[in-house]
This record gives sequence, structure tokens and C-alpha cells, in this order.
Amino acid sequence: MLNPKAKIRLSILVGAILFSAISIFLIFKTLEDNIIYFYSPSEIKQINDIDTNKSIRVGGMVKDGSIQTKKDEIKFIVTDFKNEIIVTFSGTVPALFAEGKGVVAEGKLQDKEFFLAKRILAKHDENYMPPEINKNLEQNAK
Amino acid sequence: MLSNFGITFLSITFLTSFLLIYLSFNELKTANNKIPKKIYNFSSLQLIFTILSFLTLLAGFVVSDFSMSNVFENSHSTKPLLYKISGTWGSHEGSLLLWINILVLFSFLFLFYSNNNNKKFQLYTIIFQNFLIGTFLIFLLFNSNPFSLLFPVPNEGLGLNPILQDPALAIHPPLLYIGFVGSSIYFSAALAALISKVETKLFARVIKPWVSLSWFFQTLGILVGSVWAYYELGWGGFWFWDPVENSSLMPWLLMTALFHSVLVLERRLGLYSWVIILSILTFTMSVVGTFLVRSGILNSVHTFANDPSRGLFILTFLILMVFSSIFIFFKYSTTEKNTFKFLSKEFFILINNWFMVFFLLVVLIGTMYPIFLDTLFGTKISVGPPYYNFVLAPFLIPLLFLMTSGPKFNWISSESKKIFDLVFFISLFIFLAILFIVKEKNLIVNLTLIFSIYLTIQSLNDFYKAFKNKSINLSRVISHFGFGLLIFFISINHILSIEKNFNLKVGDEKNLSKFLIKFENIESYKIDNYQTIIGDFQILNKKNLIKKNLKPEIRIYDQPKTMTYEASIDSNFFSDTYLTMSNVSDSELFNIKLQIKPFMNFIWLSVFILSLGGVLNIFKRIKKV
Amino acid sequence: MKKNKLIIIYAVLIFIFLILYLSLDNKKIYNTEDLVGKKMNEVDLLYFESEGTFNTREIFKNKFVLFNFWASWCAPCRKEHKNLIRLSKNKNLEIIGVNFKDSPQSAKKFLEELGNPFSILAKDPDGKQSINFGIYGIPETILIDKDSNIVKKYVGPLNLKDVNEIRSIVEK
Repeated sequence: MLNPKAKIRLSILVGAILFSAISIFLIFKTLEDNIIYFYSPSEIKQINDIDTNKSIRVGGMVKDGSIQTKKDEIKFIVTDFKNEIIVTFSGTVPALFAEGKGVVAEGKLQDKEFFLAKRILAKHDENYMPPEINKNLEQNAK
Repeated sequence: MLSNFGITFLSITFLTSFLLIYLSFNELKTANNKIPKKIYNFSSLQLIFTILSFLTLLAGFVVSDFSMSNVFENSHSTKPLLYKISGTWGSHEGSLLLWINILVLFSFLFLFYSNNNNKKFQLYTIIFQNFLIGTFLIFLLFNSNPFSLLFPVPNEGLGLNPILQDPALAIHPPLLYIGFVGSSIYFSAALAALISKVETKLFARVIKPWVSLSWFFQTLGILVGSVWAYYELGWGGFWFWDPVENSSLMPWLLMTALFHSVLVLERRLGLYSWVIILSILTFTMSVVGTFLVRSGILNSVHTFANDPSRGLFILTFLILMVFSSIFIFFKYSTTEKNTFKFLSKEFFILINNWFMVFFLLVVLIGTMYPIFLDTLFGTKISVGPPYYNFVLAPFLIPLLFLMTSGPKFNWISSESKKIFDLVFFISLFIFLAILFIVKEKNLIVNLTLIFSIYLTIQSLNDFYKAFKNKSINLSRVISHFGFGLLIFFISINHILSIEKNFNLKVGDEKNLSKFLIKFENIESYKIDNYQTIIGDFQILNKKNLIKKNLKPEIRIYDQPKTMTYEASIDSNFFSDTYLTMSNVSDSELFNIKLQIKPFMNFIWLSVFILSLGGVLNIFKRIKKV
Repeated sequence: MKKNKLIIIYAVLIFIFLILYLSLDNKKIYNTEDLVGKKMNEVDLLYFESEGTFNTREIFKNKFVLFNFWASWCAPCRKEHKNLIRLSKNKNLEIIGVNFKDSPQSAKKFLEELGNPFSILAKDPDGKQSINFGIYGIPETILIDKDSNIVKKYVGPLNLKDVNEIRSIVEK
């Protein structure tokens, strides 16, 4: 039989391990639920069942001449030179957002043609492209 | 000209660090317990020459010597003096030079001011620290030389990225670097302590002020960085869980864990191996952060030029550092017996450490997961702020509670104390009063509010008691008070913030439920090195009929040609009204973002109070010695 | 016990470092190498100094043409400039410079300072035409042959190796 002192130590140890295990599980569970996948317009065309509740990122180029500013939103087309998607957004855009520039929009799909953005990321200079876009554009240029 | 000076100074620094290692090794063999004068002299010499090399680069920036490619790429002759100076550490090369300066400074300070009468320990620390200095000097000289020349010499420089031309960002890197590069000294000291088998209590006493010092600067550095993000990035937030921010938070968490457990070790109550591990981990995490930021493998809102060869060097350095630390640790560490009493002060400090390590894991996993997924499976993902908020928020509640209760307990003994005392009921009452006004329904937010109020009030109570009873640790009271306030104001800010997005033409009005916004006018000027477009807005608060005039700007800089949006912030102490304006494709409609951000000033203030506790810790140490 | 612990720690660390090492190699700089071998797009470009435009297909029908995209604000452009001057001495090759998002004054100053290797100098003040070449960052250089096929694309500054490669292609 364990003496009372050892009993307390053991229960603390078991408690600590249990608590840690639960926490690690929680980390990964929340991570799974909150990762935001990145898609190009072409990849969106290939998705079979779109989840309109999940946040994703769409990236590509802002099509030339596609930006329209309306009363309550900005509308523009993101292209990867193969396929396009129409993005609507309300709010201020980053300073480097412009036609013909790389853009990443974060938000939700409404269907395969329309994307409702919550956030626009376009922070890069002339010598820099968000790495996520590069790969996709590279493949499509083939 | 300046370039030659700079390289010469750096070479001398390299030579001295080599000599210091050599001399210290030799000195280890001698029997007397006195460190010879020449080691002190070389250390002073090393400090003088690194500072000289730094001043040389600074001079290059001040006089706009464009024959140095670093100056050419990051400065411009028409730039204000402050930004010429801050340009010195604005680039990768310059910031690395600052790194080395801080490494050397801490090596010097440790040798001169950490007199612990243990020659072996002190010399080994100097040896390890100079290994770090030497390796980084090699990196600087051969890969990222700030003094490299450019020919033909250009007439004009390219200018510093305008988004970096901000007073907060001018002081942000030095503060942060003193923080996490400063942690190098207890990294070196930990390895030295293992090899020289130093007495554990002495080790705790020696590293404590350095831990407090680096923690203080790290806290301030993070604060200034957040202030900058809030005022300059124009998103109205102060923390984005951006990888770059995360890499400054990770060492901070470890430092926090470290100086709590040092308190235990100081009383010879065990945790020796754990303190050693934490000391090693803190600097390791700082280097990991530097690797993530500088190698360009992360996709961050903060753009740094990326160059794989830099990443490769830092990674190699990291691998060497980690493996040799593990080797030394397993070779020299001894098993110890920890006798921990349940419900004693040290028990609570151990729990604090558990929380810090948990937070570290959360942040580390969130930051690294995308890299792993991309490399292994080619899947591009990002981890957004919701992940951090969901995981961290529930754990803040027990942490706040333990921060309140833990300090009440005594060392070693394990008597139980009354936990829900009068202070708790006062706090509950205050919370109910606040709830009546803000009407928040989220359980987690409400619990966070209760316990942050409890911690704040309890700390105030302790503060009052501390004047009568000298045994109460005042720096703990101040820091815990600051932390309680911080969480309280962040929660309130989270509840009461308002954000509205819309587009307006000049002369138009927007009618919101609580505000009426009128876009009065637009003006354009040419100022110094940029063209500015200023919008004139009237914001009427429908409730109290207070009118505010806000003037957000769009700036177009010449050198280099870039555009920035400057938010206009009206701060009336309790609440900020935050307005940003942007414009795309020369449309006549401007995109407007209106945000009401209550208690922002209080958030900054609480972090400042939090950091003050650290300062007190440093001075207390000095007084005793 | 101690040994096992060490082995596990080492294994985990080696795995982490390996991933970090591999991630360094992941290509981050955008490139459109895949355009190589295709016909060049027809683009109308503005002359840098005189009025009017010219079409990229109409010029230098029977020569190799090198398009170079540069700006005075771009540091690597400055580094590669001497290599362009070297190439400009080659008789089989004409270099067309496209000045990218630059102010005319500083572009002129840049050329006065470092020399002008360009047979024709065009400008693209807002960067819109360059997109048709697949250009997003500068410097970038495109070599096309006598039939307007893209032979080579160079992302980033030209180095001596590139210069020799271009020479050998052109002189074949």
C-alpha cells in the first residue's frame, strides 16, 4: 500500500498528465477547425461540395479593369489566368491593392462564382509575392 | 572610407572574441581564484570596437554615404535625421550588427558586474558568450556585411520603406533585441553552470537580474511594436497573431516562466535542471524566431527581404547550438531530488510554468504548423486569430485565479488558505455593475472579466499591505496588477469595439445607428518626400451630440514609390475614434473604415505597469549586493 | 532510460530541423519559366521619351531581342546594369529596356550615371503592360529569338553566367 504522501504525489502526477493530454488534444482540435485553406480560382472550380460557412483564402491577380467601387462594397475579379472568381468586399483595402497586382482575399464562398471577402491581404512590394500565390500561378502559366 | 573602418573594427572584435576564448581556457588551468586583468581589458576592448563599428554604420547613414550598399538601399539624403539613424538597424545587416553589439555588451556587463567569486563559472560563461559572438561575426562578415561597397557610387539612396518611418518603430528593434539577445547571457551562464558544477543557489542569484532585465526590455519592445501596428497598419488592431509577433512572444513566455522558477531555485527548493532548461530554451526560441523572420519561410504582414542563404546560416547555427546544449546538458546534469509540498508557493510557481509552457506550445504549433504542412504535403494553409483566441482564452481564467491565490501561500509549508475572501466578493460586485452596463453574454468573456477584476483588486490590496509588511514582494504585486488590468481592458475593449465599413463620395453622408458621418472635403498637398491626400470627415455621435473632426490621409511617397494609408485617430482618453480611408482605381468613392476602440490608452498603460515590476526586480538585486 | 530519452529527443529534433531545412528550399520567388518556348505576346509599349507606341512584334524582325524590365529605385537593377552594357556590344542582339513604374527624371539620371545599353527604351509607368509579359517584380529579363519565341527568362539580376549563356545562344 502507498503511504498517504506518495498517494498525493501520485494523484498530482496523474492529474498533471491528464490535464496536459487534454490541453494538447484541445490545441490540435482547435487548430483543425481554424486553419484557413488557400485556393486558386481554378481549384475552386474543381471543388465538388463547397462549404459556404468555412473561411478560406483565395489568391491570384486582380484582373485589369475589373475593380468597381459601389456605395457599400468593392467588387473585383481575381484571376489565375485560367479561371476567375468575383470577389466582393466592404472596407478599406491595403495600400498595395491595385489592378494587375497579386492579392489574397480571406472570406467565404457563396458559390463557385462569388466570394465574399472579410479581409484583403496585399502586402508586398514589387520584388515580393505572397508565396502561396506563386506556386499556383506558376502551374497555370504552363 | 567608412566601410574600411567598419570592417576593420569588426575584424578586431572578432579577434578579441577569439583571444578571450583562448585566454579564458588557459586561465581555467591555473589555480588562483582571480580573473586576470587582461581578460577584463580585452572585454572592454571588444566592447569599444563593436560600438565603434556600429557608430561607423550610423555615421554612414547620417552623412548619407551611398558608397555603402546598405546605406544606399535603406536611406535617402532628404530623409529626416531620426529615420536616417533608425535606418541603421532597419535593414537585415544593420539589425544583425545591433545583435552583435548586444551580445558583446552583455558579455562585458556580465564579466564586470556579476561578481560571483566563482572564477570557473564566470570564465565558462565568457567562453560560451564569445562563441556566440564569433559565430555571428562570421555570419555578418561573410553573408550579411553592412559595410559592403557599391560601385559606381550612386548619387542618391533608395529610401527606407515609408511604413517603417515611424518613431515607435525606430525604437522597437533596439528594445526587442536587448530583450531577446540579452537572453544569450543566461544561455551561456546555464551551460557554464553545468560544466563548472556551480552551486544552484548561486546560479539562481546570478542570472536573476539578467532575466528581469531582458524580460523588461522584451515587454517594452512588444508594447512598442503593438502601438506601432495600431497606429500605422491602419487595421485598428494591436495584436494580429502574426508569425513575426509570435516569434517575439515565445521568448517572452519563457522568460516569464524562467524568472518565476528562479524564485524557487533561489531558496534552494529545487527545479535546478528545469531552470537550466528554461535558460537554454529562451535563447534558443529567440534564435528560432530570428530564423523564422529572417529566412523568409513565413508569409507575414511584415515584409522582410528573404534570402535562403541567411536562413541556412541561422538554421546551421541553431542546430549546432541545440545539439551542443543537449550534449552538455546530458553529460553534466545530475539528478536532483525535488520535495514539493502541495499548496505551497513553489507549487503555484510550478503551475505558472505549466501555463507558460502551454501558451508557448499553442503559439509555436500555430506558427509552425503551416510550414510543416506545406513542406510535407504541399498544402497551403494559414492559421488565423480564432485559433489562438479559442485555445488561449479559456486558460486565462484559471491562470488569473492562480495569479491571485498563489502568492498568498507560503514557501515550503502547505497550510490551506481561505480563497474566496472579501476581496473576491467586492470584485464580483464590481463585475455585476459592469455587466449591467455592457450586457455581455459570452460566459468565457464574463469569467475572464471577474477574475481579472479579482486579480487587480487583490493586487491593490497587497500593494497597500506591502507598505506595512516588508516581506511582500512589491515587483510581483505591480506586475500582477498590470497583468490583471491588461486582461480586463482587453476584454472590455473586445466587448465594446465597433467596426463599420462603407464607401463614400465627397459631400456624402452615412447614417449609422449610433453615428452620422459626413465626408466634407478632400485636399491634396505636397509635403517633404510625399504627396498627401487628406479627407475631412465630421462624425456626429447621435447619443451625446459630440462632433468630431477626423482627417485620414492617403500618402504617396516618392522614395521608394509607395502608398500608405494613415489612420486618423481621435483619442479622448477613454476611447479612440479610428478612421481609415482608401481609394482604388481613382474611383470617386472612397472606402471608409470607422472603428470605435475604447480603453486603448489603458491597454498600453497596463503593459507599461506590467513591465515596471521587472525593473524593480533588477534594482532590488543590486541593492542587496 | 537516459539513453532512450536522448534518442527520442534527437529523433524529434532532427525531424524538425529537416523540415525547416526543406522549407528553406521551397521556391518563394515567383517565376514564369514555363512561358519559355511559347510565342511572345503582342504588346504595345510607350516610347520613353518621344510620343507614341510601338508593337513588340514589329521591331527587329530578324534579330534576337532582349527585354529588360528595370527601374531606378530597384537595387538589383543597378547591380546588373554593367552586364547589360556588356551585352549591348553584341551585334546579333538588340536590347529593349522597359522602365517600370519610375519617374522619368530619376530614370534618366540612372542612365546618365551608368550608361545606356538599350536600343529602344520604353516605359510602363503604371506597370500594366508588363503584366502581359508575365512580369510582377523587377528586374526581369526575357530573351526572344528571330521568330518571337521566348528562349529564356531571367528572374532577378543578370549575372556573368547569364551573360555568357545569352551570348552563346545569340551567336549560334
